[in-house]
Amino acid sequence: MADTEKVCCQPERGLVLRDVTLTAGSTCVLRDASLTVLLSGMTLLSGRNGAGKSTLLRAMLGLVPLQEGEILTHGLPPAQARQHIGYMPQSVTDAALLLPAVSHVRAAVDGLRWGLPLHLRPRREEADRLLALTGASAFAHRPLGLLSGGERQRVGLAQALAGNPDLLLLDEPLAALDHAGQEQTVRLLEDLTDRLGIGIVLTSHETEALSGVVTRVVQLADGGLHVRV
Amino acid sequence: MFEFDFMRHAFMGAAVVSVLAGTVGWFLMLRRQAFAAHALSHIGFSGAAGAVWLGFPPLSGMVVFSLMAGFVIGAEREGERGIPAQRDSTIGLVLAASLGLGAWFLHMSNRGSSLATTLLFGDVLGIDMPTLKALCGVAVLCLGLLAFLGRRLLFASLAPEVARARGVPARLVSVVFMAVAALACAACAEVAGALLAFSLMIGPAATALKLGLGPLAGIALSVGLALALSWGGLMLSWVTDAPVPFWIGLGAALSYALADLWRRVRSR
Ligand SMILES: Nc1ncnc2c1ncn2[C@@H]1O[C@H](COP(=O)(O)OP(=O)(O)OP(=O)(O)O)[C@@H](O)[C@H]1O
Ligand SMILES: [Mg+2]
Repeated sequence: MADTEKVCCQPERGLVLRDVTLTAGSTCVLRDASLTVLLSGMTLLSGRNGAGKSTLLRAMLGLVPLQEGEILTHGLPPAQARQHIGYMPQSVTDAALLLPAVSHVRAAVDGLRWGLPLHLRPRREEADRLLALTGASAFAHRPLGLLSGGERQRVGLAQALAGNPDLLLLDEPLAALDHAGQEQTVRLLEDLTDRLGIGIVLTSHETEALSGVVTRVVQLADGGLHVRV
Repeated sequence: MFEFDFMRHAFMGAAVVSVLAGTVGWFLMLRRQAFAAHALSHIGFSGAAGAVWLGFPPLSGMVVFSLMAGFVIGAEREGERGIPAQRDSTIGLVLAASLGLGAWFLHMSNRGSSLATTLLFGDVLGIDMPTLKALCGVAVLCLGLLAFLGRRLLFASLAPEVARARGVPARLVSVVFMAVAALACAACAEVAGALLAFSLMIGPAATALKLGLGPLAGIALSVGLALALSWGGLMLSWVTDAPVPFWIGLGAALSYALADLWRRVRSR
């Protein structure tokens, strides 16, 4: 409850759903659901397979339309909110696997501009910084297709961090990782929230690896959302 | 060989088309749309046949037909969540329909086989000044549009989901790019013929991608190779009397094979 009160006072830090009905194909993900929750720190969106976690993340980005109601992230509707949001999809890209990983990150760094880049240096430096931040520098110049699942996820995370978002939506960032890999990634995510103050919403079935790390859990079940702090 | 006007025109035409094919081809291959390149140039062939039948220059028919097809293909819904777009089916059916029309046009124009041969294999030595100017116009338009789309197109090609999440209008970018590709295919078909136009688009680009080069280096190599293929083809056909498309097609396959070999040797 304390959480709800805080976000009412500072809606720019939270997620607000008002009477949202959301369907994916013939599956009803949310039915008339309302929620107010802070997004500082790490928020785990949990639910069984097929509950609609990925769909909800995509709705926050405006990638799937709502049937009814509205979603405000940091006080903004999806079309504006996404300028401050970094996204890592559940299935990492399988496009252009022959290109080096660093090219994929560079493309994300200035991929929103029209026209040709006049200065290549700032973009390169920014991409290198992001790859270093996610611990992907060592394999940045190998073709993306030759990287392991865990390595690709680090590249995906660097891509999500392009554009200096203050919120990250990470869909299953711990899948395809072994125990050590999960620990590494969790520490990296903690670092992002602590040091850079980036809020993180992630979906995961690895509740063990995340216990004690997440600030709150949002449970998605039976068309409704429930917060557990 | 440069004392002849037709030879100079051929070299200039080949240069313009190579720069265009190398650049557009790189994006086509990056987006795995080789089939689109193949289809668009054949669709252009039908348009050219239609234009000849109605008494217009072949290039105009090629441009109109492949542009229309480009819009249809580009407007195909983007694939969603791991389900690839049904692009290949759309392309295949658009191709089938327009080849059918092409057969009808050839039949009506009464010049069936000789016309078909010219259109299919191109007539690079027959390029005149007006055609050359038209080619330059098409090239400037295409490269301009591509430069404008550049970074968004790259982002949307490399990470479609992420790009859409950040607000890149993926559908618009895809349609405009297909229109550019259609124009480029028409221009290439004018030089290399409908049958081999796509060899100039695909061979150099596939080679550059195979070598694992980033965008800038990849496009530069792709353009360089396209130039080498088309100019080399012109010179070799001057010396050997074998047709230009023969050398271009063979050279494209050879350069890809060499790149493949290079990768294998390096990864040992
Ligand atoms: N475009 C679509 N068309 C039809 N059905 C869809 C579509 N997208 C999602 N679904 C269905 O909606 C439901 C929710 O899917 P979603 O991917 O959001 O689940 P999830 O909670 O992320 O599952 P997981 O834990 O397996 O990742 C699933 O039953 C899925 O089959
Ligand atoms: Mg999911």
